[in-house]
Amino acid sequence: MIRLWVPLFILGVWSVMAIIGPALPITPNHIDLTQILTTPSATAWLGYDDIGRSIGDRLIVGARTSFLVAFSVVFIASIVGSCLGIIGAYWGGWVDHLLIRIIDIFLAFPGILLAIALAGAMGPGIENVVLALACVGWVGYARLARSQVLAIKEADHVTAARALGASSGRIMFRHLLPLLSAPLIIELSFGVASIVIAEAGLSFLGLGVQPPDASWGSMIRDGTRYMLVAPHVVIAPGVALMLVVFAINVLGDWMRDWLDVKSLTRER
Amino acid sequence: MALHSAIVLTILTLTVGCSEPRSDTTLRFGLANTPANLDPRFATDATSARVNRLLYSRLIDFDEAARPVPSLATWEQISPVHYRFFLQPTRQPFHHGAELTASDVKATYDFVLDASNHSPHRSALTLISDIHVPTDNIVDFYLNKPDRLFPSYLVIGILPANLIRTNHPFHEHPIGNGAFTFIDRPDDTHWRLMRQVDRQYVELLRIPDPTVRVLKLLAGEIDMIQNDLPPELTAYLDTDDKISIQRRQGANFSYLGFNLQDPVVGQHRIREAIAHAIDRTSIIHHLLHDTAHPANAMFPPKHWVGDATLSGYDYNPTRARALLRQAGFDEAHPVRLTYKTSTDPIRLRVATIVQDQLAHVGIDVSIQSHDWGTFYGDIKAGRFQMYSLSWVGLKTPDIFRYVFHSSSIPPRGANRGRFIDTQSDRLIEQAQATQDLHRKSEIYRRLQAHLLHVLPYVPLWFEEHVFLARRNITGYVLSADGNYDGLLTVTRRPTSTQLTRQESHQP
Repeated sequence: MIRLWVPLFILGVWSVMAIIGPALPITPNHIDLTQILTTPSATAWLGYDDIGRSIGDRLIVGARTSFLVAFSVVFIASIVGSCLGIIGAYWGGWVDHLLIRIIDIFLAFPGILLAIALAGAMGPGIENVVLALACVGWVGYARLARSQVLAIKEADHVTAARALGASSGRIMFRHLLPLLSAPLIIELSFGVASIVIAEAGLSFLGLGVQPPDASWGSMIRDGTRYMLVAPHVVIAPGVALMLVVFAINVLGDWMRDWLDVKSLTRER
Repeated sequence: MALHSAIVLTILTLTVGCSEPRSDTTLRFGLANTPANLDPRFATDATSARVNRLLYSRLIDFDEAARPVPSLATWEQISPVHYRFFLQPTRQPFHHGAELTASDVKATYDFVLDASNHSPHRSALTLISDIHVPTDNIVDFYLNKPDRLFPSYLVIGILPANLIRTNHPFHEHPIGNGAFTFIDRPDDTHWRLMRQVDRQYVELLRIPDPTVRVLKLLAGEIDMIQNDLPPELTAYLDTDDKISIQRRQGANFSYLGFNLQDPVVGQHRIREAIAHAIDRTSIIHHLLHDTAHPANAMFPPKHWVGDATLSGYDYNPTRARALLRQAGFDEAHPVRLTYKTSTDPIRLRVATIVQDQLAHVGIDVSIQSHDWGTFYGDIKAGRFQMYSLSWVGLKTPDIFRYVFHSSSIPPRGANRGRFIDTQSDRLIEQAQATQDLHRKSEIYRRLQAHLLHVLPYVPLWFEEHVFLARRNITGYVLSADGNYDGLLTVTRRPTSTQLTRQESHQP
């Protein structure tokens, strides 16, 4: 059960930081020039950054940025990708061919490079990062949904629903979608981890949040410049990012095993 | 502290731990940027200009006050539009053995002036109407209008005429008559030069990351570095026994620029409020570790048109708030500005601090950081409200026309803020028309006082030059403009082991 509770605890802390962060009495953007790169102390438990802001406070605000970006992107990408995948596979013909060609075009580019290009073209800013990552992220959901629908669209219950006069929309979203939920949820869990890293990467490149807003990626980017003189600036956001990604991946693994019919059969 | 030391030790071990300080006699100089072009007819970036000074000679140079002084030639003003340059009798031949003559000077400047060659330096020299070579040692320049600053413009390295005619690729194989000979360029990060006087080899290495540059210096993989370091790393090296440090007040001018056509920052009161709201002293002390000096004008007081009597805007948030109220803004209706900057780390840090300080007086600033190409494109096109930049390598006051005259709006000049002011135009024109240098400097001082009053720029500071070297490196003299001329005299002191080895080889 450690595979469940440890990641849940880490993700719980992350979520709480993200949700109640704005209500906390913290001052992430308060600059005290006399505290530039001051090491951790009793008053500032993670020290101060390169312009004298509390790293602890910024870590909490950065958690919110990562959380919002990760879930916004996964929400948009999974809805768009799943719908397109289901529609393409269910209708078949030219609709499916068109979908496959579009997916091929997107897959021809390395995902993160395409996101960098899109974010670069749209300009820096967190909204543009969400759009860029969603533009890249939907493809995985579309492929997964399409392959699953192709496998089950001729199933007996679908044929029965069709015989009873159910509309295409009802069949797709009432009789097919629930059967895709397990693989989609697993894909979604791994998607969150990759988006957290991608957001950090884009912010690291200066395409994410703009000053004075905080994100873990931008904190790591700023911190790497001071590894010789103030390593604490990069350690705090680096460890936070690593823990969250680790927790999501472990939880995703656990969910895959839990939803796997074969492993359930073995255990039973 | 223990954790800190352990991490630093680990980084050192992982990155440079496998290499030992090199024992050969080559001196290694770490650079942040590559010299983009070693052909002085086309080079425009600061690193190329500094390296080209080592490879080529130019007719004139500058003294501490940025006044032109003889280098390859002395000169005489025959008439307001006729200058005669006499080449120094004892001058070095070109690196390929040919003598440098007046014909080479003419060939170099004729090439730059030929519009079909697209030299970026042509626009600064278009006042030359003709060049004559009466003898091998004399060059006559004829101008199409009088300009007492003309000798200051003749800073292009001289190339051999016969190689210019054969289109020699100087950018790949530079041949000049400078103190250094170009040896080779094994790859895109290494340039090898040889000092002619003592056959000392110097290797220029491009190491863009400042932390890696510092680690290589500490590990002895390179011997010296100059500038382009975060102030914290300079302070860190300052405490290391293995490293010596030289500092010198520089003339690179940092400023905040405004779009004066903008309805908000176009108002003088708003710009004055911004000037009063920025605590420059505090930023210089805490962020820049006192490696800069407050500026009140484009030229430092030591420059021949500089003015030490100018008094800038003191840090006065109360006055700033009062000015904003007079302009019709208050807490309910704050001033909203967009501040554009590049992604350069130190510029972003300054921008964030300025944003915070302006917020304290009721100015809501949104920062937009872009890569250099996008940022510079926006600035040239006037797509900004407020931005920060630096002027590097300013020497002659003709820059005032280029930057502040109403006829210099891009693409014709660098009046990027669309500053249109009849008094500034009049003073610039008066100064340029005056042939008496004393009178000229007086008018330029009046112009700078006027600019400080009307604030097309808010002056920030002059950045300091810093040179860091291993303790056994001696003889490098840091120049006022940050060039690399110190390489002419730098030497490595033999270590005690090397001395013992040398002694044991004595007969």
